[in-house]
Amino acid sequence: MPTIDFKGKQIEVDEDGYLVNLDDWNEELANYLAEIEEVQMTDAHWEVVNFLRNYYKQYQIAPMIKILVKEIGKVMGPEKGNTKYLYELYPGGPAKQACKIAGLPKPTGCV
Amino acid sequence: MLTVIAYAVAVIFVWGILSRFIIWLSSPNPLKIPTTPAPKTFSGVVARIAGEVVLFQSLFKADKKLWLGGWIFHVSFLLIVLRHSRYFLYPVPEWVMVFQTIGIYAGFTLILALAFLFIRRLTIDRVNYVSSFMDYAVLLLLMLIGITGLTMKFIGRPNLIDIKAYILGLFSLSPEAMPDSTVFILHLLLFLLLLLYFPFSKLLHAGGVFISTTRTQTDTPVEKRHITPWAK
Amino acid sequence: MAKIGAPELTGRIEIPKLAEGASADQKSYIAKPDNMAALSFPRERLPNWKEKAIEKFGELLKKYRSLQLSMDICVKCGACTDKCHYFIGTKDPKNMPVARQELMRKVYRKYFTTEGKLFGGLARAADLDDNLLDEWFTYFYQCSECRRCSYYCPYGIDTAEITMAAREIMDSIGYGQKYTLEIIGKAETIGNNLGMLGPALRNTLDFVEEEIKDNTGVDIKLPTDVEGADVLLVTPSADFFATPHVESLIGYAKVFHQAGISWTFSSYASEAGNFGMFIGNYDHMKTINKRIWDAARELKVKRVIAGECGHAWRAMYSFSNTLNGPFDYLDKKYPSPVHICEFTLDLVKKGAIKLDKSANDGFTVTFHDSCNVARASRMGDKIGGQFIIPRELIKAACNKYVEMSRGTTHAETFCCGGGGGLLTDELIDLRVKGAMPRMQALKAVIDSNGVNFFALICAICKAQFTKIFPYYGLEMEMVGGVHQLVSRAIILGAKEGV
Ligand code: SF4
Ligand code: SF4
Ligand code: SF4
Repeated sequence: MPTIDFKGKQIEVDEDGYLVNLDDWNEELANYLAEIEEVQMTDAHWEVVNFLRNYYKQYQIAPMIKILVKEIGKVMGPEKGNTKYLYELYPGGPAKQACKIAGLPKPTGCV
Repeated sequence: MLTVIAYAVAVIFVWGILSRFIIWLSSPNPLKIPTTPAPKTFSGVVARIAGEVVLFQSLFKADKKLWLGGWIFHVSFLLIVLRHSRYFLYPVPEWVMVFQTIGIYAGFTLILALAFLFIRRLTIDRVNYVSSFMDYAVLLLLMLIGITGLTMKFIGRPNLIDIKAYILGLFSLSPEAMPDSTVFILHLLLFLLLLLYFPFSKLLHAGGVFISTTRTQTDTPVEKRHITPWAK
Repeated sequence: MAKIGAPELTGRIEIPKLAEGASADQKSYIAKPDNMAALSFPRERLPNWKEKAIEKFGELLKKYRSLQLSMDICVKCGACTDKCHYFIGTKDPKNMPVARQELMRKVYRKYFTTEGKLFGGLARAADLDDNLLDEWFTYFYQCSECRRCSYYCPYGIDTAEITMAAREIMDSIGYGQKYTLEIIGKAETIGNNLGMLGPALRNTLDFVEEEIKDNTGVDIKLPTDVEGADVLLVTPSADFFATPHVESLIGYAKVFHQAGISWTFSSYASEAGNFGMFIGNYDHMKTINKRIWDAARELKVKRVIAGECGHAWRAMYSFSNTLNGPFDYLDKKYPSPVHICEFTLDLVKKGAIKLDKSANDGFTVTFHDSCNVARASRMGDKIGGQFIIPRELIKAACNKYVEMSRGTTHAETFCCGGGGGLLTDELIDLRVKGAMPRMQALKAVIDSNGVNFFALICAICKAQFTKIFPYYGLEMEMVGGVHQLVSRAIILGAKEGV
């Protein structure tokens, strides 16, 4: 199992760099993961990450993209409530890249 | 000697083909996998297979040049076999005479088509990549059979009466004396080699095409439940 | 990650020169031991894997005539060599269908034929050693089982069958692909490929209901587990998650609503897809398929309808009846699953729903035939209905429709490049390149006709194209479902005269 070295601690990740243990996650680690992904975390980015984590806690899965889009629109203003904006935040895809930074497993399926 | 070889080859050939068909037919088709659009009826399947066997229709869609070369080769081969039937049949039926002249032309088109297939195999990088020594060898073998055949017609001219007597003898299981012609013996040997190779090689496509799963199944998975013993 | 090079879009499909090993680095991840074990495969590669592999090979030859025949009768004519999108895109000769087959046939010759035993290397017989097994794992996971090669082969040899057999052999020795096996695990325990549990599904559908209400003002339900509903709709779970998939989901809901037909999803069988097919494993395919029919029986529905998904339709149309039939508990009038396109088109023709084409006037639409629908199944009664029905439905929903060039549509369609268990990120370079032929054909109609809507009926196709369009400099918003068009065009509200 590959690991990443974070503050002297070995953290288990899968081949794509997703955390294996959800509980390893904290904000600092998220920043570090974002750095690896070349994503500059802003309030908007955090908004996405926090929403993903809360949703995951409740439902054991990341939310549908459209749900995320709507939520961001609600919080950040309607002009930002679209998929395009999410891709601007997370060029690697709001589902996959944002989940990685939020410490969630990678959504897989026909998606 | 030649006679013994001929009988041995005949036995191996028949046994080889039969056992291969037994292997094929005893392995089932657990699922419906016709390449669609596929016919829904048996007669539709017959038409589909006829299209493949007579016109090479899938090949036509795939590659026009190869289709032409392949089709000419196979038709020539067929014409030549029909022409040869006058050596096995006695008395010679009327229809065989139709193929005498055209069978000679077919000898030439056969060799030309084979040469085309050979060169194509050699020069198209994709085809060359997947070709083994045996793929070339079998083309050469066929060409040699054709060349020795034409040699007899135009150069060597062995005694046809002897040859026919010999062949009829072989067929009636009371072998006569071997004809005294090197070209003929060579021609026959090469042909026997082809027969020997046939049941153990890709030449089996000639039989396999008739039972190819993706081409012979009807598109009726819903109309009729398809079940095989191991896949219930 | 590896360099991802999207070929240039010229609108033409050219057959490349060979570049040996060009896609050798595109390798799937190996499945985790726990995943393997959950599906009753060995946890890791067995110590005596070679004997076991040959044994399994022999067993499959006896179980599948298609495999036995294709091992025997390929003449290496080369007709298929330029037909595979992965070869055209990657230039790697091992992606030529016959070369892919040869990886397996080499071993067949050595262990199962007289020719191979007599002539060995001259006949290209070879031992299954570590190297070759490695090539199997690479190149049998570079085939989307799309059957394009089979369509052109003079003997109908189907590389998809060979790929499935190879994957089955590899799984049986403990050498599986992570992506497909992880998903099969989820489908068999949770009921869908995403691993979405009941509450999440309900929450998602509630959200979709709200969305529809906000946008149309109409109360449209997306029910789950309603006993006694007329229809059980089984759709790829991607429809509950991804964009643009969800737009088609909304389309289905509107159609049922407007036609006044009671319907339901099942939280137990919330997946149409069947990855058991991709790995050529009969038992897993059957297990996954069975959930649908158990749910249908339990919910006492009259009929089952399949949502937009390519390989799912193959599994339901071509295999269901064999795997888990007969379905005598369904309404006699609908003895087998019906494709949502056929269902909707039927309602349009009967006048039970009305479409306003002008709602899609902003679009010039083209349609991509999904391979599993095109070459492995049918819709409706007519032979070739799988080509006619989606097109008629699209044309009923929009005014401007354009066909892509001949040789790239209908039975000759090119795969999206992500099918057959390859829709995984580690294969992204392969996926981008494999999509190239389709992209060229699309590019041609974008340039000549201004196409701006790329209509699909497959969840994998949708996910794949959304992902790779940007690599080719195209807007991912162009990608959409056929029922997305229906959703925009359908006239909701009171029906006239019915
Ligand atoms: S087209 Fe068929 S026979 Fe020809 S090389 Fe390909 S698989 Fe073999
Ligand atoms: S089935 Fe499709 S992907 Fe596989 S070799 Fe044939 S053309 Fe290529
Ligand atoms: S994903 Fe779509 S295009 Fe690709 S193989 Fe499946 S049906 Fe074909």
